[in-house]
Amino acid sequence: MEHIIIIGGGGTGAALAHDLSLREFRVSLYEKGGLVSGTTGRHHGLLHSGARYAVHDPKAAMECARENAILRTIAPDVIEQNGGLFVAIDDSDVEYARILIDHCRQCEVPAKEIDAVLALSMEPALNPNVKCAIEVSDATINAWRLPLQFFATARARGAEIHPFSEVTGINTGTGIVTGVRVFDHKKHRESDVSGDIVVNATGAWAGAVSLMAGISLPINPAPGAMVAVHERLTDRIINRLHSPGEGDIIVPQRNLTILGTSIWQKDDPDSYDLPREHIHRLIDLCSEMVPSVRDTTVHSAWSAVRPLLGKGETDNLWQASRDFRCFDHYTTDNIEGIISVIGGKATTMRAMAEETADLICTKTGRNIACRTNTEKLLNYRLFYKDPL
Amino acid sequence: MKGKKIIFRILRYKPSVIDPPRFQDFEMSVTDTMSVLECLEEIRKEQDSTLIYRKSCHHASCGTCACIINGKERLACITKVADLDNHIVTLEPLRGFRCEGDLAVSEDWSPLRNVDRGKATDGRDDQKSATRFEDCIECGACLSACPAAHGGNTFMGPAALAAIHNEIEKSPDKRESLLSLAGGPDGEKWCERALDCSRVCPSGVYPARHIAELRKLLGR
Repeated sequence: MEHIIIIGGGGTGAALAHDLSLREFRVSLYEKGGLVSGTTGRHHGLLHSGARYAVHDPKAAMECARENAILRTIAPDVIEQNGGLFVAIDDSDVEYARILIDHCRQCEVPAKEIDAVLALSMEPALNPNVKCAIEVSDATINAWRLPLQFFATARARGAEIHPFSEVTGINTGTGIVTGVRVFDHKKHRESDVSGDIVVNATGAWAGAVSLMAGISLPINPAPGAMVAVHERLTDRIINRLHSPGEGDIIVPQRNLTILGTSIWQKDDPDSYDLPREHIHRLIDLCSEMVPSVRDTTVHSAWSAVRPLLGKGETDNLWQASRDFRCFDHYTTDNIEGIISVIGGKATTMRAMAEETADLICTKTGRNIACRTNTEKLLNYRLFYKDPL
Repeated sequence: MKGKKIIFRILRYKPSVIDPPRFQDFEMSVTDTMSVLECLEEIRKEQDSTLIYRKSCHHASCGTCACIINGKERLACITKVADLDNHIVTLEPLRGFRCEGDLAVSEDWSPLRNVDRGKATDGRDDQKSATRFEDCIECGACLSACPAAHGGNTFMGPAALAAIHNEIEKSPDKRESLLSLAGGPDGEKWCERALDCSRVCPSGVYPARHIAELRKLLGR
């Protein structure tokens, strides 16, 4: 079988290594740092029901709804399956309820309107002035263990996973990519690896990686701030019932509550300056939904870089599509043997892998169906069963 | 923001490249709010791109960044440099795991694999329908800190014993087989009651308490 080289060991790379090894391709994955050390691991853990995107990004909403159901089935151990609420705090939120319900129906995102009394009985920590709520099938993902389950399953099928292995060059012949040059940070040694197709699955870092092959990608690294506070304040995910914006997601996880998020733009995805005012704003905004957020102590604050698709296509970054795209660079740049998969979000990592692997099958003339929607993932602990 | 000058004294090791391990100093300016992990990120970006360490979630949920900071096992992501109150911060990899290089260890949780927890989530007592991840984030800090785990014996270590005790409470039907694991040749008998496991646990598991409960169940 063809040898597929994946660059990037985040959620997308993990799911792709699993998908391709299930279709019996030979797979080698290279990650410059530790596994899941980029955007996926830092994500707040919200497995989206799709409702957040139903009004302005129906394609992403439908994808989320589909993937939500699939991930619950194939990786139940790494998901807290407690559901979520969109809560209306003021009159404009109440007006938005009808719009959201209608769009959820159109996108086939399960959503049920409930009254304030029921919402408060379900989640006593909610603002006592809550006006109504919409119940959805959100859940909390363990953002480290889910990718590790994909990696563990891929490894068991022979995929080679190489953390601390930085791709320093993309080797090309005339109009064709022939492999990559890799610096092994453990051995301080550089070597060439040849492959049939190279996949750039480096998320917010995809622009710099594709440039090594002379390809420019429409990627827009857009960080968001997150704050974890001590104590678990709710069982369910709590979202503000309004058009997606700042500080409108509360994700309980283990003993913590995670508040998200904000958005700004950055050319360099490796710079970590977190504007301190974002932390205060997240606490203020989230405490409108769950007032006790204000009484807790901050456990940690950090940022994660979204890999937004498209450059400067919208003024309002909250309205930017969270959809993903698979680029066959033979079609877009006349360079054979390299694919980039960018955009998307943690909830859709499996779907991104499916579309990419489908494209690889088309390019290699193979007719092998995707099975990752039903194949149960192995326990994450099995990843370390054999030395890397 | 100008900060305080801090020296990070990091134990470097790369099999057959930097071998045997040796300390290397990196100096940088640190603000009040910076975590040890943020400093490592800056050192890797600005001073030495070959420095390797593991990290993922940045909020003490994944357990990957556990290392020995000024002699004690901690998570780099939630350890503020200012709280260490020292102008030298010494960083070493966890003990008892295979070191892949510098601060990165391979988390070989073979003892935990034998526990076969079934589910990594727990039901809650107060609300039967809600589930949550277990408290243990499997960071390895307790195993590294345990004085009994480094004598060349086969001790499964504190995290695995705590997991066995939790599992007995969750699934009483597995009690006999789990107790024989805890009371067996790799189990509780090695524990020296040093309590370091509970002292270093960043996730409130208190493994020593679970080991004490197991002893009661074993009638020891």
